Amino acid sequence: MNRRDFLKLSTATVGALALPGCMLDGLIESEKTQSPWPPGPEQWIASVCQQCPGGCGISVRVIDGKAIKIDGLASHPINQGRLCAVGQSGLQTLYDPDRIKGPMRRLGGRGSSQWQSLSWDDAIRMVAGKLTEIRERGEPHTVAILAGQARGLMDRLPARFLDAYGSPNYIRTGADGTAKAVLFTQGIETLVGYDLENSNFILSFGYSLLETGWSPVLAHRTYGYLRQERPGAKATIVVVEPRLSATAAKADKWIPINPGTDGALALGLAHVMVREGLYDEAFVREKTFGFEDWRDDHGVSHLGFKSLVLKDYRPDAVSAITGVPAGTIVELAGRFAREKPAVALAERGASMHTNGLYTRMAIHCLNALVGSLQVPGGVVLPAEVPSAPWPTVQGDAVAKKGRSMPRIDQAGSRRFPLASHVASQLPHSIRRGEPYPINALFLYNTNPIYAYPDTMGFAQAFDQVPFIVSFSPYMDESAAMADLILPDHTYLERWQDDPMLPVMKNPVFGIRRPVSKPLYETRHTGDVLIGIAKAMGGTTAAALPWDDFEGVMKGAAKAIFQSGRGTPFLGSPADGQPAASPAPKARSARFRSFEEFWKALVERGGWWDPVYPFDGRRSLFKTASGKFEFYSQHLRRALERAAAEESVDDLLQKLGVVARGDLAYLPHYEPPRFVGSAQDYPFHLNTFKGATYAGSRGARQPHLQEISKSPVGRPWDSWIEINPKAARQLGIADEDWVWVESSIGRFKTRARLYPGAMPDVVNMPLGQGHTANGRWARGRGENPNRILGAEWDRMAGFVAWYATRVRLSKA
Amino acid sequence: MPRWGMVIDLDKCDGCQACVVACRVENNVPVAGPEETARGRAISWIEVPSMIEGEYPNVRTRFIPRLCMHCDNPPCTAVCPTGSTYKDDEGLVAQIYPSCIGCRYCTNACPYTVKYFNWTTPEWPDQMDHFNPDVAVRPVGVVEKCTFCHHRLQKAKEQAKIEERELREGDYVPACVQSCPTKAMYFGDLDDPESTVSRLAKSTRSFRLLEELGTKPKVYYLTEGERYDGRKE
Amino acid sequence: MTEGKSSHQRGAVLSGPGLRTETSHSRYAAHFEDAELDLIQPILTTGRGFYRTASVLGVVAAWGLFAWLYQLWYGLGTTGLNRPIYWGLYVVNFVFFIGISHAGTLISAILRLCQAEWRRAITRSAEMMTVIALFFGIGSVVLDLGRPDRVLLIFRDGNIRSPLLWDMISITAYLTISSIYLYLALIPDIAILRDRIPRRRWLYRPLALGWTGSEQQQRYLKVTIGVMSVLVIPAALPIDSWVFAMIIQPMWHSTILGPYFAGAIFSAIAALLIVMGVIRRAYHLEDYLKPIHFTNLGLLLVGMSLIWFYFTFAAHLTVYYGGAAKEQTVFFSKLFGSYAPLFWATMATNVVIPLLIISNRRTRTVTGTIVAAGAVTVGMWLERLTIVVPSLANPRLPYAAGVYHPSWVEWSMTAGFLAMFILVYMLCSKLFPIVSIWEIREGRETALAEARERIEGYLPGWEVLRARPARDDRALQN
Repeated sequence: MNRRDFLKLSTATVGALALPGCMLDGLIESEKTQSPWPPGPEQWIASVCQQCPGGCGISVRVIDGKAIKIDGLASHPINQGRLCAVGQSGLQTLYDPDRIKGPMRRLGGRGSSQWQSLSWDDAIRMVAGKLTEIRERGEPHTVAILAGQARGLMDRLPARFLDAYGSPNYIRTGADGTAKAVLFTQGIETLVGYDLENSNFILSFGYSLLETGWSPVLAHRTYGYLRQERPGAKATIVVVEPRLSATAAKADKWIPINPGTDGALALGLAHVMVREGLYDEAFVREKTFGFEDWRDDHGVSHLGFKSLVLKDYRPDAVSAITGVPAGTIVELAGRFAREKPAVALAERGASMHTNGLYTRMAIHCLNALVGSLQVPGGVVLPAEVPSAPWPTVQGDAVAKKGRSMPRIDQAGSRRFPLASHVASQLPHSIRRGEPYPINALFLYNTNPIYAYPDTMGFAQAFDQVPFIVSFSPYMDESAAMADLILPDHTYLERWQDDPMLPVMKNPVFGIRRPVSKPLYETRHTGDVLIGIAKAMGGTTAAALPWDDFEGVMKGAAKAIFQSGRGTPFLGSPADGQPAASPAPKARSARFRSFEEFWKALVERGGWWDPVYPFDGRRSLFKTASGKFEFYSQHLRRALERAAAEESVDDLLQKLGVVARGDLAYLPHYEPPRFVGSAQDYPFHLNTFKGATYAGSRGARQPHLQEISKSPVGRPWDSWIEINPKAARQLGIADEDWVWVESSIGRFKTRARLYPGAMPDVVNMPLGQGHTANGRWARGRGENPNRILGAEWDRMAGFVAWYATRVRLSKA
Repeated sequence: MPRWGMVIDLDKCDGCQACVVACRVENNVPVAGPEETARGRAISWIEVPSMIEGEYPNVRTRFIPRLCMHCDNPPCTAVCPTGSTYKDDEGLVAQIYPSCIGCRYCTNACPYTVKYFNWTTPEWPDQMDHFNPDVAVRPVGVVEKCTFCHHRLQKAKEQAKIEERELREGDYVPACVQSCPTKAMYFGDLDDPESTVSRLAKSTRSFRLLEELGTKPKVYYLTEGERYDGRKE
Repeated sequence: MTEGKSSHQRGAVLSGPGLRTETSHSRYAAHFEDAELDLIQPILTTGRGFYRTASVLGVVAAWGLFAWLYQLWYGLGTTGLNRPIYWGLYVVNFVFFIGISHAGTLISAILRLCQAEWRRAITRSAEMMTVIALFFGIGSVVLDLGRPDRVLLIFRDGNIRSPLLWDMISITAYLTISSIYLYLALIPDIAILRDRIPRRRWLYRPLALGWTGSEQQQRYLKVTIGVMSVLVIPAALPIDSWVFAMIIQPMWHSTILGPYFAGAIFSAIAALLIVMGVIRRAYHLEDYLKPIHFTNLGLLLVGMSLIWFYFTFAAHLTVYYGGAAKEQTVFFSKLFGSYAPLFWATMATNVVIPLLIISNRRTRTVTGTIVAAGAVTVGMWLERLTIVVPSLANPRLPYAAGVYHPSWVEWSMTAGFLAMFILVYMLCSKLFPIVSIWEIREGRETALAEARERIEGYLPGWEVLRARPARDDRALQN
């Protein structure tokens, strides 16, 4: 209560004393019928959700030009009219009262929150001027774009921009772990799909499919289908992970495992399958390489996968490493091999350790052992959306020179020889000026000061970058430290293509279109990039010849139209809406012109190809042997190339890999490294994302903050899950404040006792602990990233999110 | 007259809470904010609480979406001093906000604890007050609860009338059911022997919450069934 | 026995059995005795202590009023209530005040019907307490409403199936009957005041309804009071318990909860004892409120305490032995969980303390009895709290279990209500005699004879004794 209210009330009290009873009517507000505006014309607009990379189709109810509700798009092949909690709360991103309302230039010191508005023309001129100046100094490579969750062409456009400008530093933040495992075993660098609908036995390693799957609604839908809709036997789902997540809870069995040892378990399962002859012998014989011991062209004999697992991964040995009972291993292996088709999933959790690459490879080998590659119910390579390549960027001499420089994130260097993008290396590179200092940094769809391990490191690195531009529509932690903010539209206000991540076997190309006029002076980042290129002129402008981003999209759609494959979704956005008029069923007719095709595409929300040939047109293996490689010759070549003049052993030494010789090219269990010793920091810190508070974005949306957290948790807050017995030993009770301390730092949060936590693992949700990001997010709970140490799988550059150990004490 | 009811398959429900947010958006449910939420005053017509049993490593967690059961024999309507909560002709338990005096007798009488009270004047920051015009915004001091998205029934009935036909299954579906990603929720006429809900409600897996109280809820649940070690059919 | 003032001894001279009640207006005035001056003295003069107390209470009441306005302004969010604990202090206060209200009229009516002579000095204060407490009981409910502005809707849209409506009807009836009852018994006294205090004639004259004390008037009054004493008893039966017992909350939904709320009488006796103690001291009525009154009520209090204990034991034993899971949760949270301190404090204040004090002849003094009554009053309030809150905190479906900490608004309003209750009571005692003048008078004039007659009616062998009149009469008197 503020002073004014107090005075009012005091007066009222005195008044009421003087005139008892008379005040009542005045005090109680008469019935205010807060009737909404008179409803105007209503329409349903099809678009694509971007609350996560899942790519669900949405149907937005718009009344009088105002978006009222987001539903799933009934005709969309991924979500079939359904939509998750995060997708449903999407309007709160559009109507967030704390959005950035137009371009802003920093006035005071960094982070002083003093801003000055400027016009878009001035802002673009300012950036173009800065970039031209850097380019004229001959340092175009010192400009970097850090991009997170860039979909479709908005992934390619900034990369092309930098290409033409002359920088190799387009750095994506996304995880591409599976792609590397597939690369080194199958020779193709791609994410893979899992044909779960046809699977009988699903073995998931550390992948909370239902909460943090690549496409959660697809996962939910598949889950429901497997549980009660599919005719015949139910599928068995087994989840291996340290925390009893919702996915593990809903699985048939949860197998808790010591963090970082999933690879050992996979190899232990392989051991049992090999020993008992349970594997798919025909498949292994005909389509794999390196299973048996073998001799190369020089007559040197090499270790095979079979000998390796038989020798080193007996169930009792594996049990000692993983903490999984030997009996469970034997039983699980038997069922995995017999209840075919079976599939092993290796995403996210299992591999977010320093041994991530080998772990993923080991798990992927299980699929090969049961022959679940490119078969119904197994791992499938996605069919691609037809696309037309853009003409190669020519670029002038400055651009060519700049492009040839090493990357600032040191991906592909001797530090991370097999990596493509290592965003988390950025602060270290910048602070040391290695390989060179950075002059300008662009942030697109990413908030590194919040979302990376050792967030302080990023904050310090920012100090050494003279020019930082953020495209964020929200004043997040990183935007707050920028020099210039060029706010993007929210996903509900912009045009964007959205090809489905290749986690579903069929290709899907969604069209994201504005469902609301831009509420503020924001602008599509694609348009801004094109504008900057135009303002700079020269070869940069020539490489981006489009008028606007819609034009870029149309180009991509044209390629689909010309391919003649697939069809725009068959339905209208009003389908599946209760009591909406049944739309005339769209026919899968050929379209006479591109314009007609485009119109259908936009109206119905996208395109897909319902046909998926398992014996596809593309080759399954592009390895040296033309087969699935247990023994990765690709990995061997890559390491040898990276080692260059020194020996591979020396390189392995530097990369912190224990294995030597053949072992380094075979999937094996590499003991994980941790930040902090087990004596000083007895608990593993396992961070997780829940279904409703995914990532840092959810914190801005009050609906997501407010709904209950399950299985345990605290709304509007963070918490740490502790095993009840372990907590009792520390004298910690449920809801107590506890200090969580790593070697990096410490913070205080609330304890939740959870029997689904392992005795030596504590779990903490990601998404809270913002120091900026608007009224709903700021100052609630803690951000565990703050105390994570920066560790990687140094070979592939995966961030070892789970490598930090902590200690707890009652606060 | 149809008897509207819901069936929730707990085997399919994975606790994703899509229904919770779908309901909040559809029904203009206000945001209580962190302080009020911590005091246990957030409103959520449907919730997905979890039940955790056992000790590590043998832990069993269940998710049980809980909303107004729209009892055929509702304990809440009898006790309402002004009759502002009542069972309507369609069997839905409804609440008339303008005649609720806020005594909270019904909230206490409900054995499922699914009635909610507006402790404070609902507030929306600027920009966020884009309401669903089909649903009234509740004032401070009154009780509210799940309506089975009754406004959708009105619309569906009008439409059916205009088109000179009977209501069909699927014409009227509450927002939660519409959104459910695992398709664990079913909605329809329990008295229609052909409907999905009436078929499922008769399944051997079917049960209702606190059935022993004689409230005759119209929300049915289907049990999860056996897991891993006990092999299923 | 030494407390009585000697000046009053004169008035206490016993009349012979043959004394007739002369009643005409003039005679009434003429018979005005010194003793009755004692009883209207508080109305005529007001000491500094009164003003001091009243202003303190006034400040507390004003603070409570401020809290109420604050709550009206911001809504019930200013309380500590939540889901699932939708009811808290206000409902506890409601039940408590209604409980106290049973005191009065019920006690006075029962005592009247039983012709307990010692009632004469206490009926008025008890009846007054009833009427005033009822207003505060009803007020507590209004405080608790989310929309007090709509309270009148109950008359338009009332749903007779709601126990809240039963309660309302019963309380209205009780309030009506007990107000009439109080008023009837006041009429002769008002007439005295009308005659004694000319400057307040404007108030007392209309209220006295032309009472002259004629024989006919007296007869009518007696009959009416007699009828009302019978009527008031059923009206006073605790219906409010059914508000709880009718709904299927664990530990509310039981048959014993109805009679259990007869604990109301228990708290009422306690409250009455305190009131008696205060007015005895403040208005120097030691001669009217004698230790025997306290002893009698004290014994009644212990009796009620034992009955209350039996009910409590029965209620909890049933729950414990039955072993129904939901009720067990409430049971254990009451007896051994977070509500255990409150529960065991209740047991101490309601059973142990009164039993120890009153069963011991040495401590069964006026002060001792009042201490015991104080303990019971606090205890009964706590008992209401441990009935209302733990059941709500542990609903049948365990997902919504909650905790309740009353807010400053609730505490302020509770304090304010208590202060206002006392204040109103004090003011009433300044307007009307707090001890019934005419009843005392009647007692002096006729009680002994009546008692004698009554005793004679059942004393064996009295007829024989009666044959030898004079000497034995004297013997009896000595």
